[in-house]
Amino acid sequence: MEEATAAAPPELKLRERNVLLLDLSKSMLAPLPDPQGARGERQKIEVARTAVFRILQDAASTGMPFGLVTFTENVRVPVPLGEVHRENLPYIENLLALLQPSGRSAVWDAIAVGADLLRVGVHGVRGNLVLVTDGWDNASTRFGVKTTPDETLKGGLTDLVPYILPAGSELSLRIVGIGSGMERDRGVDAGAMNACLDQLRARAAELGLAGAFGFQEVTTGTQLFTQMVQAFLDVGYEDDRPLEELHPEELAQHAASAARALKEPQQHATVSRLRAPRPTAGEADAVYMESPDLEVGVLPASGGAPAYLKERYGPLGEVIESYIGGQYSRALALLGEARSVLPPVTRLYWEARIQFAQRSVVEAARALLQAWTEAEKLPPASQASVLRRLALLQARMQNDKETETLVRFIDDTEHRLGGVDAGARERLMDLLARLMELRGTYQLTRLAGEGDLQDAALRHEAAVEDVFGRLQDARLEFASSGPVVEGALDFIEICLAEMR
Amino acid sequence: MAEVKVTTKTRRAAGTKREPKAPSADTARIAVVGIPASGKTTYFRFLSGHFGLNLPILYVPSREDGGNLPLFGDLDNDVALEETTYETTDPTDPEGSLETTTRYYVNRPMEDRRKLWVELSAGREDQGILTKYPLPTKFNQFVEMKMHFRYGAADEKTGSKPMELNTVDEAGGIIADYFSYDRLWIDSTEGEVTEKSCRVIPHFDSWRPDRRDLWRRGLTLLGRFVQEADAIILFLSPALASLRDQAQQINLARGVFRYTRTRDIPLVIAISKADKLKEFYSEVDRSVRERTFRSTFDPVDFLLRRDGAGMGTILVAQEGRGISIREDVFLVSSAVSTGEGHPLLVGEGGQEAPAIGTPTLGVPVMVNTTLPLARACERILERRATKGS
Repeated sequence: MEEATAAAPPELKLRERNVLLLDLSKSMLAPLPDPQGARGERQKIEVARTAVFRILQDAASTGMPFGLVTFTENVRVPVPLGEVHRENLPYIENLLALLQPSGRSAVWDAIAVGADLLRVGVHGVRGNLVLVTDGWDNASTRFGVKTTPDETLKGGLTDLVPYILPAGSELSLRIVGIGSGMERDRGVDAGAMNACLDQLRARAAELGLAGAFGFQEVTTGTQLFTQMVQAFLDVGYEDDRPLEELHPEELAQHAASAARALKEPQQHATVSRLRAPRPTAGEADAVYMESPDLEVGVLPASGGAPAYLKERYGPLGEVIESYIGGQYSRALALLGEARSVLPPVTRLYWEARIQFAQRSVVEAARALLQAWTEAEKLPPASQASVLRRLALLQARMQNDKETETLVRFIDDTEHRLGGVDAGARERLMDLLARLMELRGTYQLTRLAGEGDLQDAALRHEAAVEDVFGRLQDARLEFASSGPVVEGALDFIEICLAEMR
Repeated sequence: MAEVKVTTKTRRAAGTKREPKAPSADTARIAVVGIPASGKTTYFRFLSGHFGLNLPILYVPSREDGGNLPLFGDLDNDVALEETTYETTDPTDPEGSLETTTRYYVNRPMEDRRKLWVELSAGREDQGILTKYPLPTKFNQFVEMKMHFRYGAADEKTGSKPMELNTVDEAGGIIADYFSYDRLWIDSTEGEVTEKSCRVIPHFDSWRPDRRDLWRRGLTLLGRFVQEADAIILFLSPALASLRDQAQQINLARGVFRYTRTRDIPLVIAISKADKLKEFYSEVDRSVRERTFRSTFDPVDFLLRRDGAGMGTILVAQEGRGISIREDVFLVSSAVSTGEGHPLLVGEGGQEAPAIGTPTLGVPVMVNTTLPLARACERILERRATKGS
């Protein structure tokens, strides 16, 4: 018999594999209080489903493997770990809607099943587990957690901690506990959860493993939304047209227009606020964070409000639904009610967008200014795309078509590249970043005096040549990668020609 | 041109490599390159009209020497222009053959000089009828144009070695692609542009197979052809309405700069169709109408400082890197138009001849067309002298 291989584990990043463990015990039917009163009480399961829908959609757009484990006394796997395809989302969401809470909670057994999904042979358990529960473990039959290290588990239960954290593991476990744990049957068993996490931390330290383990207790629907719906959701504009729908000459006109935004910084000051769309160094290796990135999404302008909007985005969904329906006053009122739930940048952006829609330009400008400030505080991963959405609104408010074209192109390309392979995406984003950087060398050619002009021109042309060489390599590597990639490359090529 | 002779028609099996005619060691070859509709064809036809029929050339700014440039058509051989058409007879047949047809344009006076204008400057739609060229460019053919001339003196003893001005006509798209994308470049006259490298051309994979094959063959032919070039004349049109065409031209220009720099061969730039530029046309118009007017138009100042949509920054960057803006860039017009399709004609005495109305013996006005060619010759000879010494 062959010995277990000691080869290096496969290249799996923590962030790339996610399993959500959702409590479906009867107590999840109970309402969560909302101290603000305006929104009324919501069932815990309703709020939790919203979070699951959001996570699923995120998984579908990023291509990250995702799995869902639900548990009562029994543990089930409605969505096995794997890539979630967008076309399957409606079926999965229907399935989730049919899952009705009942019975008790086998929390530890569910965590063990989730860990099994993430188990990679001899390389341990690798990935992220997120547990959403409101209860105490009262139904596990296979696994248990010791309250003290010396305790012996009764009834033949297996110790959960070494089971889910064997040598070689790279695991994160984030527990979202619903309800106060001060009183049994009113909320999560915070004591047991924290004991489990303490033991996991100790074991990780003992074995020298990478990992992160956290517990967050939420006692109101608002808090749960805030924990789980970290979203910046926007709606496209009526005149949005994807690149591949443009006539080649129209594409050229768009590219020339975008190039003007790069060439004339004084007239297009908004461009300078954008971040290069290049991935931040080390971002790909980032592990579990207590403050998750803001999810950024854009809904198409046409077709009205999608049916899932409220279901998936809670209060934000309601605001947007009213906005799409042209009920701006109602949208503003809902936005005010959801103040404590929404990330500040999301709220301020939507205030600006709604105010602009109802022609209150001064109020819109004030809110947008505050949104810019809030956006600066965001984590890098979501900052670039949020800044672009702000820039797009600002360009529309200022009737700056050139900036609008540029930002739309970058934003649209990045968004649509989510469906293509990561290599192509990274290369294109890199090209876009380099294109943006040509602003600097081009400006030098405008500012240089007679004596320095040739040096500046030479430097700029060398930079253009460098980007053009990379563009050619990308064409060779990603030929036949589809209209999104080819459209983006065509756009960049024409932009380069215009940078003269 | 006075007469057209169709002299050869050969068929060649597909895959059979056409051996390029080995250029004589005594021959210098100058390649003319530009995007589609940049004016290459008109340049060749009118310039050969100058060599064969003594069509006058106007210089703007005026020249001290009156424009006596030492360029002479190859009158010994009675041939001003040679055009060879390469055509796949059945584009859908992968085993199809490649047919070549050569036409020789000879220097003989025409009975009616008005026909010269019609013959030379007909619009693209009419050219197909008049010259049997099915324009715009068909995907299954391209044309090699060749003009023979001497520099210095007309005779073999005192003049230069024979020179050739060449272009692959009907192939501006191929030329633009070849120079724009350096991943296509070949390094020898035996080199072959591969199908794989052709994928650097936007949307190449989506083309029909026969077009892909002809394009690849055209790129190979062009690559070998420019590999042998002693100098390049780059044609840039300032009158492109389409932004796509403008972008294609800029990418071509940047590519040609790269090419001539890495190959270390002289480059001369001709801004063609310069009569479309208002300021330049005014100078031409005045030069024709006022016989005593001497133009002091400054093309460098115009190109670098006033032609905002042009290539100012790019040209500045190239200054001193194998090219001098003052000495190697020319504004030319092969056939000046008064606008609305009317040619500007001059009569026997050099004065303007009416374009419409009573029959006239006017000939089309060419401006500066010999300058890029003469400059290219000069630079080739300078280089040869330097290397020889």
